[in-house]
Amino acid sequence: MTELVRLTDVTKVYQGGITGALNGVSLSIEQGEFTAVMGPSGSGKSTLLNLIAGLDRPTSGDVVVGGTNLGGLGEAGLARFRRDHVGFVFQFFHLLPNLTALENVLIPAQLKGRENAEARGRTLLERLGMVDVADRYPARLSGGQQQRVAIARALINNPTLLLADEPTGALDTHSGDQVMALLAQLHRDGQTILLVTHDAKLATRQASRVVSVVDGKIVDDARLETMERAASDVVRVRGEETSR
Amino acid sequence: MTAILVKAIADLRRRRLQAAVIFVATLLAAGTGTMALTLLSQTRDPYQTAFAAQQGAHLQVAYDSRSDPQTIAATPQLLGATASGGPYPVTSLQFQAGSRKFGLDTIGRDDPGGPVEQIRITAGHWPSSNDEIALTRSFSELNNIGVGQKIKVTSVAQEPVLTVTAEVVDIDEGSADLSSQHAWVPSSAISGLSAKNSSYYLMTYRFATDPSSAQLQADMDRLRSALPPGSVVGSVNYILIRNVFNITNQIVTSVLIAFGIFALAATAAIVANLVTGIVISAYREIGIMKAVGFTPRQVVAVFELQILIPAGAACLVGIPAGTLASQPLLANSSHALGLAYTPSFSFALDLVTLAGALLIVALAALLPAFRAGLLKPVVVIANASAPRGRSGRGLRRFAAQMRLPRPVVLGFGDAFARPARAILTLLAILIGVATVTVALGLPRSFAAINNSETNAGNVDVVVRKSPALSDADALRIINSQPETARIVAETGENFTVPGIGDPVNARVFRGDSSRLGYMVVAGRWFSGPGEVLAPKALLQDAKLKIGDHFVASAHGNAVPLVVVGEIYDINNLGHSLFMDWATLVAVEPDVTPDAYLITLTPGTAAGAYVQRVAAAQPDLLDVEPNNIGIIGPVKIIDTVLLIIAAVIALIGVGGIFNTLLLNTRERVRDTATLKAVGMSPRQVMVMVAASAGLIALVGGIIAVPAGVGLHRYLLDLVSSSAGNDTPQAAYGVFAPLELLAIPIVGVLVAIAAALIPGRWAASTNVVEVLHAE
Repeated sequence: MTELVRLTDVTKVYQGGITGALNGVSLSIEQGEFTAVMGPSGSGKSTLLNLIAGLDRPTSGDVVVGGTNLGGLGEAGLARFRRDHVGFVFQFFHLLPNLTALENVLIPAQLKGRENAEARGRTLLERLGMVDVADRYPARLSGGQQQRVAIARALINNPTLLLADEPTGALDTHSGDQVMALLAQLHRDGQTILLVTHDAKLATRQASRVVSVVDGKIVDDARLETMERAASDVVRVRGEETSR
Repeated sequence: MTAILVKAIADLRRRRLQAAVIFVATLLAAGTGTMALTLLSQTRDPYQTAFAAQQGAHLQVAYDSRSDPQTIAATPQLLGATASGGPYPVTSLQFQAGSRKFGLDTIGRDDPGGPVEQIRITAGHWPSSNDEIALTRSFSELNNIGVGQKIKVTSVAQEPVLTVTAEVVDIDEGSADLSSQHAWVPSSAISGLSAKNSSYYLMTYRFATDPSSAQLQADMDRLRSALPPGSVVGSVNYILIRNVFNITNQIVTSVLIAFGIFALAATAAIVANLVTGIVISAYREIGIMKAVGFTPRQVVAVFELQILIPAGAACLVGIPAGTLASQPLLANSSHALGLAYTPSFSFALDLVTLAGALLIVALAALLPAFRAGLLKPVVVIANASAPRGRSGRGLRRFAAQMRLPRPVVLGFGDAFARPARAILTLLAILIGVATVTVALGLPRSFAAINNSETNAGNVDVVVRKSPALSDADALRIINSQPETARIVAETGENFTVPGIGDPVNARVFRGDSSRLGYMVVAGRWFSGPGEVLAPKALLQDAKLKIGDHFVASAHGNAVPLVVVGEIYDINNLGHSLFMDWATLVAVEPDVTPDAYLITLTPGTAAGAYVQRVAAAQPDLLDVEPNNIGIIGPVKIIDTVLLIIAAVIALIGVGGIFNTLLLNTRERVRDTATLKAVGMSPRQVMVMVAASAGLIALVGGIIAVPAGVGLHRYLLDLVSSSAGNDTPQAAYGVFAPLELLAIPIVGVLVAIAAALIPGRWAASTNVVEVLHAE
């Protein structure tokens, strides 16, 4: 397996923060892995995701993705990096309200200068069962539909890494299950996925590896053989964390 | 009340940039408006004051030198005048001061006081011996001839030397840059200064009340019918002189009022835009305000106060500034009238301006504030943000089809996403660009008219002849110069025109006068005896039109005339005639030219030519390069226009800056999302700039024809003030490419204005913004 992401002794302290959101975290993610980062609210898991996406910069330490040290990139370089290598799925979808579903999907490709990406956009929407609503505006889509459009948008530039921050957090159970099944399918097709969630069951259902973060530190890193074992391991971690 | 004030001030602190935009826009609008109103209210007063103080003449009449002085002295009773002056002997004096030569109608008058037309001495003393002369201060200042200076009279063979002993202000004549001037000598000096056929008598009349134009015309008709034909050779009344005095301020005031209204309209658009934006961005906050107990009226009050506080502060600065800025023009009027300048303003008017400006601003803010007051708290707290429109899809598609870069496509879509905001912004841009178009066009039109009036490009040298030199001798000197390509001789004569009270000054030409470059508004140039051209005012007042025949008279001799054209001429506010030499010769066979308008062969240096001709007859010829300089009042109007255009353009830029600020703040989440999916800071800036550029382009495309129309309207207004129709050539001062360039420059300015909001958007912290959701 090839290493895709490497975090070395990464610390992130926000302005005014006494303790860091992340404290000396080191982590490596292989290409093709489906990794779930799990932890309670404020544990630092979203910060971890933002650093890997190049949306934020660490206070110290190195973040290397696909061989590129993100610390060496300027704002424009980081934007290009996100556009070319990363797909990001947000909890609240963050679709642009004045663009149709298809137009939202095509935006990253168009920003990259690929003006003829419409065929791929429609293919992606078809694959996600959304082709019928391609010309609808986000306000006329359900939460689950919006998230699938967001996933299509994340995939339009064939990212080497798909990042998902609580992708089911704003969805009902049924829609959430659909989205997770979709991510699993993408993983089976070879997509590297890094999922952030606070839901242990969700983390273990589809991920092959669960990294648990508490108070800005990685407290457990479990590679799961089977679903059952993984779930118990993770529940154990959460139990320890709760008892502290 | 405390809660409203606390909340409004807290919001103001948070929205300092918006407050600054309101402050600047209101400051400029209030300043412009105050300046206009102050000029409007104070302009008329100085002339009236001076006219009353100096017992100005309601009517001045020139009588032929052959008239009986005793008959003339009896005319006040005929007219029912309450006071009169004269008859004063007058002669047309030509003199040399240094190397320059001048011509003035010089009055023999022993006392500057009297019941009518008191002459105010501002320097020196009244002439008491035959070698002393008094000049108007206006003439002295324009030509730098002061008290103590010697002048040599060249219109009589003896060439006596006079000393300037006084500078005076005469309420009964216009300023030297707009009107011919008088000079005064003791009455005993006149005979020694008079050349043949250059004298007349002057009577001044004052009535119990200010007579109307119709009454003055009736007086003139009565005089003509009571006296032998040809007795009355000229007249001028106080209405014309007052208009000449006030015309600059009147035009400036008209321009200021028009653009003051524009500035206020643009400010109102900005304010309405701003409050709408604040309401949209503070959707959740409004819900919370109402949830904690603010009534709808109190919510409205919070928003109104946020606007009224900076607007009120701007008025407190802008109104005094506008009053101050109007003072130089008022001081100029007072100076010309010989009045001591005292700063003049109306406190009541300033209060009205303050109330008016605040009312307009408050009204502009009212609708969006009212909307905020009516919002349902549960709905706005739950929704957190205002509903968003879908507008802009068509524009995006169009831009996409044009294969424009995606940030540009997105920016275009954003430009009109909120139609009401876009329209208000367009209004501010439209006003700004239209004003700039006007400011660009009017000075050029004025220059074109000035070129026509001064024969610029068609006459290189003007030679004025002393009556002591014969026409033949003058022509011999001029024709002996090989560089002389064309000579048009000119003289002036007063004609009595039916329906016109005052005799009308005719400009009479000998030679190919059609090539002098005068602007013919309609019809054609005269081509033979009896044919005349006249400006609109004369045609209108005499109820004449092109093709009409009428009989005028000169020195009591009937002259049949036909109108063949309408000309542009501001002299005597459009009361003049243009005719051929043969027309005058028919009734005055021994008439000789006063001046020769000379065109030189191409490539001739005018300076050397002037020196050679002047040297041939240094005392009897006044030779000058043709003076094509723009007169002072037009320069003032040009300057005021330029300043106004800058002010309104600035307000327009403020409008677009304000809209972009609102747009970028409102769309901060969208911008963060775009950055998250890979939009670079540069692309964000391009997106914001594209949005600004499109609005400016649309605004500019609408504004240019509007500006051209406004230019036309104002030009007509100015022409009309001076008694003329606007000639077609004065309208067409814009090059087609220039009209294309104006919106493009507007786009560039808008893009520059987009830099700050663009940078602000580009530096959006994605994590902070999206985390805040």
